[in-house]
Amino acid sequence: MRKILLALALGLALALALGAGVAPLGPAAAQAPGPRYGGTLRIGMQTDPVGLDPHLSTATASKNMLEHIYDTLVFVSPEGRFIPGLAESWTTSADGLTWTFRLRRNVKFHNGRALVADDVVYSINRIRNPATRSPWAGNYAEVDTLTAPDPYTVVFRLKKPFAPLLAKLGSSVLQGAIVAREVAERDEMQSSPVGTGPFRFVGYTPQQRMTLVRSGDYWETDATGRRLPYLDRIEFIFLPDAVARATAIRTGTVDFIEYVPSSEVRALRADPNVSVVGGPSANFRSIYINNAVAPFNNVRVRQAMAWAVNRKEIVDTALFGVGGIEATGFVIPPGNYYHVSKVVYDKTDVDRAKRLLSEAGHPNGFEAELYVTSTYDFLRTPAELLQAQLARAGIRLRIRAADWSVYLPTVAAKQYALTILGTSGQVDPDDYLYSNFVTGDRRNFVNFSDAQYDKLVNDGQVITNEAQRRRIYDQAQLRALELVPMVLLFHSTTFEAVRRNVFGFEHQMNQSYLTLRRTWMVPR
Amino acid sequence: MVLAVFLLIRLVPGDVVTQLIGLEGQISPRRVEELRRLFGIDRPLHVQFGEYMTGLARGNLGRSLRTGQPVGRELSRRFPVTIQLAFMGLLVALAIGVPVGVVAALHRGRAADVLATGFVLLGLSVPSFWLAILLILLFALRLGWLPPTGYVSPAESLSANLAHMVLPALSLGLILAAASTRIVRSSLLEVFGRHYIRTARAKGVAERGVVLHHALRNALIPVVTVIGLQFGTLLGGTVIIEQIFALPGIGRYALEGINLRDYPVVQGAVLAIALAFTLVNLAVDLCYGVLDPRIRYS
Repeated sequence: MRKILLALALGLALALALGAGVAPLGPAAAQAPGPRYGGTLRIGMQTDPVGLDPHLSTATASKNMLEHIYDTLVFVSPEGRFIPGLAESWTTSADGLTWTFRLRRNVKFHNGRALVADDVVYSINRIRNPATRSPWAGNYAEVDTLTAPDPYTVVFRLKKPFAPLLAKLGSSVLQGAIVAREVAERDEMQSSPVGTGPFRFVGYTPQQRMTLVRSGDYWETDATGRRLPYLDRIEFIFLPDAVARATAIRTGTVDFIEYVPSSEVRALRADPNVSVVGGPSANFRSIYINNAVAPFNNVRVRQAMAWAVNRKEIVDTALFGVGGIEATGFVIPPGNYYHVSKVVYDKTDVDRAKRLLSEAGHPNGFEAELYVTSTYDFLRTPAELLQAQLARAGIRLRIRAADWSVYLPTVAAKQYALTILGTSGQVDPDDYLYSNFVTGDRRNFVNFSDAQYDKLVNDGQVITNEAQRRRIYDQAQLRALELVPMVLLFHSTTFEAVRRNVFGFEHQMNQSYLTLRRTWMVPR
Repeated sequence: MVLAVFLLIRLVPGDVVTQLIGLEGQISPRRVEELRRLFGIDRPLHVQFGEYMTGLARGNLGRSLRTGQPVGRELSRRFPVTIQLAFMGLLVALAIGVPVGVVAALHRGRAADVLATGFVLLGLSVPSFWLAILLILLFALRLGWLPPTGYVSPAESLSANLAHMVLPALSLGLILAAASTRIVRSSLLEVFGRHYIRTARAKGVAERGVVLHHALRNALIPVVTVIGLQFGTLLGGTVIIEQIFALPGIGRYALEGINLRDYPVVQGAVLAIALAFTLVNLAVDLCYGVLDPRIRYS
């Protein structure tokens, strides 16, 4: 009897869970005639900001809220190119040492004061100043002096040519926010941020909400000349649990959620009231190979691994088919302006892998340790699949897992042979290709060293012409694909979900919600 | 206790600086050392502990390493949320546990008892986080009666506050309800066998009076004891429940503190939870006197 009751109760619970997965019928999404003003957008955020002073934070959560309050000199377009922001235009001297930025004239801080060149000089110097303790100070190590010859001109003098300067200035509000001098000097950056952005800060209650309202003075306009933003108000509500967050948007408690978990993407896509936007992000995930350790110091062994892995299987199985896209090139994801021009490892070829291993002197394969972190699922779950895939070519992996706080220092000290890792948040090709691979760099975890590659990425830092840079970085990536410092696996995807009455939001690869200034809603 | 927490949180690998750097690690080792110095976590442990205890003796719980906010102020802001959640959870537990336990005891061995026992078994085996998700899916998504997650302070709107607290309290309370059902049932059954119950029945007291006045009152003493002890489990449960339902309570504060290795936050939160637990068990002891007039404190 007890057993029957238990079975009944479990069955009921299961039916409840499954039944809840079926989307309720709702009205079809209304076609919006065009952008309209007004409305409060309630956003379900994964976490609180870690501090409100952009120059002192490294948290994506801080960035995603502060980027509506502050502007940067240049902005990044969805495909990763630099477009005017607070600077209307800029020029570089022939020797690449002097960068001159012309500022817009109609920009006001939220306290009503007009933006002048002095604010830009103050802001960047604030990041550079050791007393500020900004984690971003190193970004401007190549800057020698900053001056404001007139209220609308800022001149950077560099110690050596440094093309990634634009990326440092514009890739995120944390690294290049232009702040109001008087607010920083009154020590109010953490309590009442004042910027030039489309929304003005109203209040923040930790672990509950942050409220922003439309700044009436914002300088940017849409294609028809109407002032941005369209929304009256943004409320960030902090909902740490992923399933609860997904439910909140389905019930209409919020209008927008970030970080839709892979397991919820399908349910949300099936909901007629919600649309899921998203796709690849600026990141890469690879098998990091310690190039200095035998047998991996032999390029053929590394090439064999690149042919032996089955990326599709990893994406489909370990990432639920939606958590990532297969890496077809090198570290720069497809869709980016600097994505490599050729696919080298176009299929899984176990025979070729075996042949390469034989040539390398390992006809019977070998054993190796795959060291992974147990902290992040997307870095952990591919391990067993890789074990099976590489075993087919004769590479027998032992898996060892550790907590992130133990794992990362070990990998950073290069005390590993193979691991699954990646980085994210890059904007400039230099972010992807320089420190991670250049000879002797502290962040070159794979111990890669190639003179030809080093020359190419050093040239890329100096040359400012976009088309020329693209050619150079293409060559660098092709060279790396040949030498396989790491085996690329996938690029993680991120998804946001919006209610169907919200329009104009676009997913950006660098996990920025900058397009909220062009987002509008129709009343439900 | 303070020392144990102080040492345990420091035994966890990583510190506030490694958590600050996170996945990207774009900061030089020299800068890491600088930051450790800035946070004061490079000093010997006994110095840090001494400093903490000195502050504690003056009622100063220190400041969060990550945000610089005073821990004491944050805790006092969050304490009411957690206490409201815990007491509403307790209310759910008693409102369900006592009647179901009584019914089960009265109908021992019959269908109602089997149902109640089934409920106990299910309640004790279901993890609260899973139950919470099911409740959200049912009451928020399917039926649309209650908000799925979030918090409104009672000062802002009492009705909205209660609406937001119902599901968390249910998730937390149902499990304790199962535990109290079991103890109410077994303790009542024991009391039913006593001579004074037979005497009460013999002198013609109505069955209702026998159960409520003679049996239940005596049976409640072990129930109250167990509930006092279970309150600790309840407080522990708030950590998960506050995270799922996005309630700004002490549990979520502690969890964030642990994730960021924000030592003063973790120490303060554990201290507050321990204090609440001690107070509740003091209240339990005082309850004995009310339930059983023979128990007197001098």
